[in-house]
Amino acid sequence: MSDLIYLYGIVPNHPGQNECPAFKGLDQTHEVYTLSYGTLAAVVCTLDGGEYSEEALKEKSNQMEWVQEKAFHHHEALLTIREALPVVPMKFCTIYASRSSLTEMIESHKEKLVDLLARLEDKEEWNLKIYCDTAKLKEEAEAHNLTIQAKRDEIATMSPGRQYLEKRKLDQVADEEVEKEKDAFCTDFHEELKAFCEDSTVKDTWNKQVTGKDVEMCWNSAYLLATQDVEQFLATITKMKEQSSPSGWQIEATGPWPAYHFANLS
Amino acid sequence: MSIEHPTQTNSIVDVLETVLDKGVVIAGDIRVGLADVELLTIKIRLIVASVDKAKEIGMDWWETDPFLSSKAAEDNQQELEKENQDLQNRIEQLERLVEGNQIK
Repeated sequence: MSDLIYLYGIVPNHPGQNECPAFKGLDQTHEVYTLSYGTLAAVVCTLDGGEYSEEALKEKSNQMEWVQEKAFHHHEALLTIREALPVVPMKFCTIYASRSSLTEMIESHKEKLVDLLARLEDKEEWNLKIYCDTAKLKEEAEAHNLTIQAKRDEIATMSPGRQYLEKRKLDQVADEEVEKEKDAFCTDFHEELKAFCEDSTVKDTWNKQVTGKDVEMCWNSAYLLATQDVEQFLATITKMKEQSSPSGWQIEATGPWPAYHFANLS
Repeated sequence: MSIEHPTQTNSIVDVLETVLDKGVVIAGDIRVGLADVELLTIKIRLIVASVDKAKEIGMDWWETDPFLSSKAAEDNQQELEKENQDLQNRIEQLERLVEGNQIK
């Protein structure tokens, strides 16, 4: 069976630019190399056609150890490339059956790829996740939220039977207030950070089963910013992290990432 | 604050959600039917968690088994070399003693 081509990403191809780093490919056997397409180059490695056929991959992708190892390889490869050159990262397991079909893809997206690379030059992607301790927030809200306080004062004047019902309602009000507060905290902070950035995107939040944390994820976003603005961006996050941790917030910034979220071709 | 490097194991979620879900999709020729990211992340996190757990309760015998770990094999090799040297020294001493006795 003929060899396949695994595509990591597209980098610029200009005389005198940094060399694309050398490392072992996805199968840990073949070396990674580049294919030139004018001002662009594709970072690829060869894969054995039998071992990585659709059939074989179907099997492999059901083995979690394989997915974990190879997904991390793909990611680390892109991190390594990113250290030397701007890169348009491909999704995990982007594989071409032949050189000609890869060429066809690149030629048909060439203009867009050139624009993207120009846009990504000297930029960094950073991701932000905000978690919160909902129980703690609720306690705080019950102690300090004006809406809740007013309601509680009102309940105190009621008959005991009525009080029971109203207290349960108040509990619901408290939950709603906490939701509002979470939303406001995250969107306000997101707006503040956006000021430093060229682009940003809000992502889905994950449940505790996915994150493995005992606190709830309430915000997940990605930012594209100029390298020179990163310091200020991170300083803003550090400040917010310190300010907000006593009230039950956890803020995590990670990066720099390959620009996974900002290299859209469509 | 600590800025976490994305390759740390505690950011499995970050890595998987971006590598499997984002990145530029101009699908290659080979179709890879990966399950949904959420499900994959949960499954993979469980594997990682079980390895961590195994270490915690001392079930990390494979790290000291020379057949499974090259580091253990290396340590083992050094120990054997040392033992070999000690034994040789003792043989030499014994031989000298024996020689001395014969001369008398």
